[in-house]
Amino acid sequence: MRLSTPILWVIFPLFISALAAAFYKRRLVSILLTSLTCFCLALLAAVFPENMILSISPLTLVFEDSLTILGRQITIAYEILPFITLIYAMTGLWALSSGIAGAPQMFRPISLAITSLLTSALGVEPFLYAALLIETAVLVSIPMLSPVSQKTHPGILRYLTVQTLALPLILLAGWLLAGVETLPADSPLVTQAAIVLGLGIAVWLSVFPFHSWMPMISERANPLATSFLFFIMPTTTMVFGLYFLDRYAFLRDLPELYESLSYVGVTMIIFGGAWTAFQNNLKRAFSFSVLVETGFSILAVGLSEQGGLTWMLALIPIRAIEFWLWGYLLTLIEKKTGSLEIHAVQGLARQYPILSAGLLLVQFSVAGLPLLAVFPIKIAVLTESFKLSSALGVWCFIGSLGLILFSIRLLFSLVTPKEGIVPQRWRRSEKLFEYLPALIIILLLIISGFFPNTFFSDIINILSAFNHLQ
Amino acid sequence: MSALSIPAFILIVITAMVILIFRDWRINAIALAVQYLAAFLLITLSWPIGMAVVKLIVGWMATAAISITLLRQNPPEDSSESVSSLLFRGLAGLLVILTIFILAPTLRETLFPNLETVILQGGLMLIGMALMQLGTNSDPLMTIFSLLSLLSGFEVIHAGLETSTLLTGLLAIVNLGLALVGVYFIIKTTEREGLTDQEEHP
Repeated sequence: MRLSTPILWVIFPLFISALAAAFYKRRLVSILLTSLTCFCLALLAAVFPENMILSISPLTLVFEDSLTILGRQITIAYEILPFITLIYAMTGLWALSSGIAGAPQMFRPISLAITSLLTSALGVEPFLYAALLIETAVLVSIPMLSPVSQKTHPGILRYLTVQTLALPLILLAGWLLAGVETLPADSPLVTQAAIVLGLGIAVWLSVFPFHSWMPMISERANPLATSFLFFIMPTTTMVFGLYFLDRYAFLRDLPELYESLSYVGVTMIIFGGAWTAFQNNLKRAFSFSVLVETGFSILAVGLSEQGGLTWMLALIPIRAIEFWLWGYLLTLIEKKTGSLEIHAVQGLARQYPILSAGLLLVQFSVAGLPLLAVFPIKIAVLTESFKLSSALGVWCFIGSLGLILFSIRLLFSLVTPKEGIVPQRWRRSEKLFEYLPALIIILLLIISGFFPNTFFSDIINILSAFNHLQ
Repeated sequence: MSALSIPAFILIVITAMVILIFRDWRINAIALAVQYLAAFLLITLSWPIGMAVVKLIVGWMATAAISITLLRQNPPEDSSESVSSLLFRGLAGLLVILTIFILAPTLRETLFPNLETVILQGGLMLIGMALMQLGTNSDPLMTIFSLLSLLSGFEVIHAGLETSTLLTGLLAIVNLGLALVGVYFIIKTTEREGLTDQEEHP
């Protein structure tokens, strides 16, 4: 029997997503349908044989890695499967935890649809058509971020506008790139194409100053939904960006490209860090921390010649679990306190010590505290930045200090009892089903910090899909 | 068809100005439908009619979806528009027109040498007006109208550069998707009062 990998990882999840949307009010059915599908697809991607032949007793399934639609192809090659494994496993985790109070009902089907659309975006040929698939994912994400019960706020409109603006830029860049492949590197058209493409990707990645929708959305939408969006969109865009670098030699050879990327990355780290430090709302602080994270990824790509691509990829799985934990904990805490202003969570650790510890841990982990998961990678990026230019390294460090400063403010707020109230005794009020998933992920974050190369190292193998970037 | 290019361009300017200046959804919906007709006429300069008509049908479908929803929901009218705000938006629109006329020849020379000036000016006019609208308005419906105009402008220019069936199909999906998001926003605004809580309580 002949099948193709896009049917498995694009068409099938889209079908399940439609099915889950039909049952969106039946919480358990919807959770089981989406999370089981995601975990099965992730598992299949993890164990998929390189020869693409699956033998299950008498049945032998022969897979092709591409599917032709209207004369164009969607290809999901074996080399990209570690990334597919990660995004489906994480979507499954998000879907599984979406049963907690406060999560939008449509989150599960929409998250699965977004993941399958972005998977197809990674494999469509000519790959510039991915812009349309990413735009479709943006459109699909709207009900998840702005449920029917909520007023349409300006943040959602700005998100829609900014992301839609990227579409013409990328398609135009595609047309320009097709014409400049054979031109000499010093042709002005090459620079024009690079600028249009860079602008399109910058808009997608919400690079400063296109980031303004992030805190606006984060403040209003459910943290679980925003954390998923903040993970899946920039991550897929970064991997998609690697296709450009791999495909176009003139881009790789542009002497200013890597330097510019480094400066863009550091600018995001500085601004993101500074904004985070002075935030009084945890959800807004989260969105600004996301800017720092994106900044680190861009900086890592800028340090490609020093091995930065490996660090960029290694950051992805750790970021995924950090963002999940963040979204999960913020959703739970918001439900308990009614607000995520820093004064509203004052003294929370005295009642909910595990949730509070988890929130602090994820905050410190993103800040790059030693012995936590992200530390070995961030220290490598920082070291190489210092080697490249001491100013670059110092600014990068200052930006990271902003995250640490906010983490310390959060720590004081969580443990200090509210003014005018008799200090409560420390007790644990969390329920087992609430803190157990968080506890498992917290332990994973700590253990992966102690043994940095043991977990999540498979993701680096996707570099083999990019022949010119290894 | 080339004889119709100048009237099409004039129609684009008028409809884009109307959408920028007025806030009545009926006027804007009619202007958007006429705008799609004008964009179709410009696209026929580059594409065969059979393929260009897809853009017209998709555009009219998007406009119809939004208009029918608005008719059914009957949203409250905002009658508090002052003359000075209309005047301001009119002047802003004139500024955009002036900028496009100045920029278009340079852009054609440097980036799009094979594109007819009228196509480039028509496309840029739609994009420019839509951007001005997006920058000066935060109403969900007007945002959707502007985004549809913006995409329409881009499609006019892109049609002169490339012909692809799949791209046309995917752009049609995006346009209809945007219209559906618009419908979602309209329904949300009117039905929100009837819903107290859509969140789950396990």
